[in-house]
Amino acid sequence: MAKPKQAGPVTPRPGVPNDDVSFDGLAPGVCRIATSAGVALLAVSVGLGATEGDGFRRFLHSYLVAFMYVLSLGLGALWWVTLQHLVGARWSVVVRRIGELLASSMPALAVLSLPIIASVLLESDRLFPWVDPSFMQSQSALAAKRPYLNPGFFVARWAIYFSFWTALGYWLLRCSLAQDATGGTGPLDGARKVSPLAMIGFAITATCASVDYIMTLDPTWYSTVFGVYYFAGCVIAIHSAMVLIVVFLQHRGRLTRSVTPHHFHDLGKMMFAFTVFWAYIAFSQLLLVWYANLPEETVWYRVRSQGSWFFVAVVLVIGHFGLPFFGLLSRHAKRHRASLSFWAGWLLVLHFVDLYFLIMPTFYPGGVSWRVPDLTTWLGLLALFVADVARRARGRNLVPSRDPRLAESLAFENS
Amino acid sequence: MTVHDEPPPRIVAPSAPVLHGLLAEYDDAATLLAAARRVREAGLERWDTFTPFPVHGIDQAMGIRSTVLPWLVFAAGVTGCLVGLLLQYWTNAVDYAWIVSGKPFWSLPANVPIAFALAVLSSALTAFFGMLVLNNLPHPWHPIDLEKRFARSTIDRFFLLIEAADPRFDSVQTRAILDETGPVLVDVVHEDTASPFRTPRAVIHGLVVLLVAALVPFGLLAQARATKSRTPPIHLVRDMDAQPTVKAQQAFPRFADGRGARPAVGGTVAREDQLDEHLTRGTIRGAASRVFPPTVAADRANMGAGRRAFDTYCVPCHGYVGNGDGMVAQRAEALAQGIWVPPTNLNQDHLRRQPVGQLFLSVSDGIRTMPAYGPLVPIEDRWRIIMYVRALQRRSSATIADVPAAERKALE
Repeated sequence: MAKPKQAGPVTPRPGVPNDDVSFDGLAPGVCRIATSAGVALLAVSVGLGATEGDGFRRFLHSYLVAFMYVLSLGLGALWWVTLQHLVGARWSVVVRRIGELLASSMPALAVLSLPIIASVLLESDRLFPWVDPSFMQSQSALAAKRPYLNPGFFVARWAIYFSFWTALGYWLLRCSLAQDATGGTGPLDGARKVSPLAMIGFAITATCASVDYIMTLDPTWYSTVFGVYYFAGCVIAIHSAMVLIVVFLQHRGRLTRSVTPHHFHDLGKMMFAFTVFWAYIAFSQLLLVWYANLPEETVWYRVRSQGSWFFVAVVLVIGHFGLPFFGLLSRHAKRHRASLSFWAGWLLVLHFVDLYFLIMPTFYPGGVSWRVPDLTTWLGLLALFVADVARRARGRNLVPSRDPRLAESLAFENS
Repeated sequence: MTVHDEPPPRIVAPSAPVLHGLLAEYDDAATLLAAARRVREAGLERWDTFTPFPVHGIDQAMGIRSTVLPWLVFAAGVTGCLVGLLLQYWTNAVDYAWIVSGKPFWSLPANVPIAFALAVLSSALTAFFGMLVLNNLPHPWHPIDLEKRFARSTIDRFFLLIEAADPRFDSVQTRAILDETGPVLVDVVHEDTASPFRTPRAVIHGLVVLLVAALVPFGLLAQARATKSRTPPIHLVRDMDAQPTVKAQQAFPRFADGRGARPAVGGTVAREDQLDEHLTRGTIRGAASRVFPPTVAADRANMGAGRRAFDTYCVPCHGYVGNGDGMVAQRAEALAQGIWVPPTNLNQDHLRRQPVGQLFLSVSDGIRTMPAYGPLVPIEDRWRIIMYVRALQRRSSATIADVPAAERKALE
């Protein structure tokens, strides 16, 4: 289906009074800067990775953290858009298109995941020790996991995840864009009908993906709440990212009238709620392991509570929960762009620290082993992700301008 | 001096009506919002609006300041959290220090759920009751309830009431202000002088009865604490407290001989009924043995194992050096319930002189209130426990001469 391209000067649309909802003017600049920054940072990371002389082992560790970070943004957006359709949300119509553009980044993320898949296909244990068959035979507990933990099924699952996420992301975007052309609620019926099943599919695939890419780094350790833990991070990240994106767009004169403090207030509430949720889940995992005191479970926390990793754990407790909890508690903090975008940026950085803490101690149990590529790979993948989203935003409205509920969303009051 | 026989009249006769305020009625929210702005600009303070549904922007139009309630809720949440932590610190680490699953007395992870729950509970209660108090609720009656038309404030009409108690209220000027705002109608509301402002006698009697009834449980509690009873406590959840079991060495009338503990059926060979009478029963030709069985040698390994077993099974009652002052005994003494038989002091002279075989039999079969440890502790470990008890007994009367020469130097 050919989509009508928006071109030329912005014409006032019904429901969007005197607001600039086009990304066209910004897209080339954002794409150029983000692409060149991403390529340059990745080149630096690869170059520094080569100097380590370990067959890119260290680079792959940094890359896994960075990839799980951008994946959490894509998954968070996918969940968020599905949720809006599932509950028929009206407040969020003005920011839904941004979520849809983020959620349709799955093909790019699939490409970015190739180094990880390659490490498994090349039967390298640089990331996952279970790739080595002799390791899997070394313990009976591991041998029992072989039907799940083997390269063939791992790649098959990867294909299932990314096909499902790609299809869902594109379907949601397509329904919404069709509405831009025709108006009315009809085009969104498809998204609405698919959302309940999509939510179940999302829960299963996102849980399995977090288990596959993070938990199996230590194939003997397991936590049944791990998928929820990663999901909590995804939700914090996507709301924070949307706040920063809207603030950036408003700074450049877009959406200045469409998105009001009432919408920021709701985004802030979700950031606050899921900050608490993250702490709740993280603590649930800790409490059960701590109480039961079983060696095969405590080893994960033993590594993370010793030496410099303990310092990172304290940073997470305070920075990922304590400070944002009190910082976002007041309604004023959630309604003012300066304070809200500060906490959004803060949480996005701490989300990186969280993933670093989930992944890296398994490779470096002795303590934090910081390298420049940890940072450059993260920023590089983030820049490429931004470039991909900006490329897709070109020629499209930043709000679903013909959604019948748009007027309601514009007039939304959040007292 | 005259005596007034008649009581003073309680009900004010419906005489001259007292003005309560002016009630304006509007047929849409926008007019009401404009009217609220107008009234606010006029500087009036004691007035309110009534709408059938929440009207966005009415707070700003009326100039309602944000309330102090969020701060109260915050303070209550912090207080609840701290109280939860203090409660657990005091009960677990101070008042009843008891090791549970090898964790420290006061372990923060275990305390978080309760601190969290108390923080949520106290902030929720504060939010609910704080809202009621700050809104002057409950408020069962109000003069405008007498206005028939006011019922429509819950259906389709919007009302604005200015009280006559407002310092700037002026029946002519205020009415003029209201007339300008485009109301459907402006009406005068009078104080409710007709209804008897007296609580009916039946309600008062009912409240008194309820109050007295509410004291009964406290009276029963006080009585239960001050008196003693031989009947067991009421168990609402019977659970594991009331199992149909016979405790060690108790009578049980269902059996013909009245013994709860059943003797072995004739001809039974118990697990430990081996050929070695010395090892299994502690006797040599029927008499209690004064020596340890040859298979349990007096060496450092056996003494260490004896100490570990003693520390596991015996210390809770007998204490670390066997003086009968273990934690269970201390707790029972502290409770002072009067039914406690203190554990034996193992360092008494008659126990010192008792043959090891006799001590072994007491441990294996139980004695007085002590249950049998035969089924629980392996046979060699029981002998090792006796060996360690002998060492403790020796220790309690030791002199400097008992210390080996080499270590004596170190002590001096």
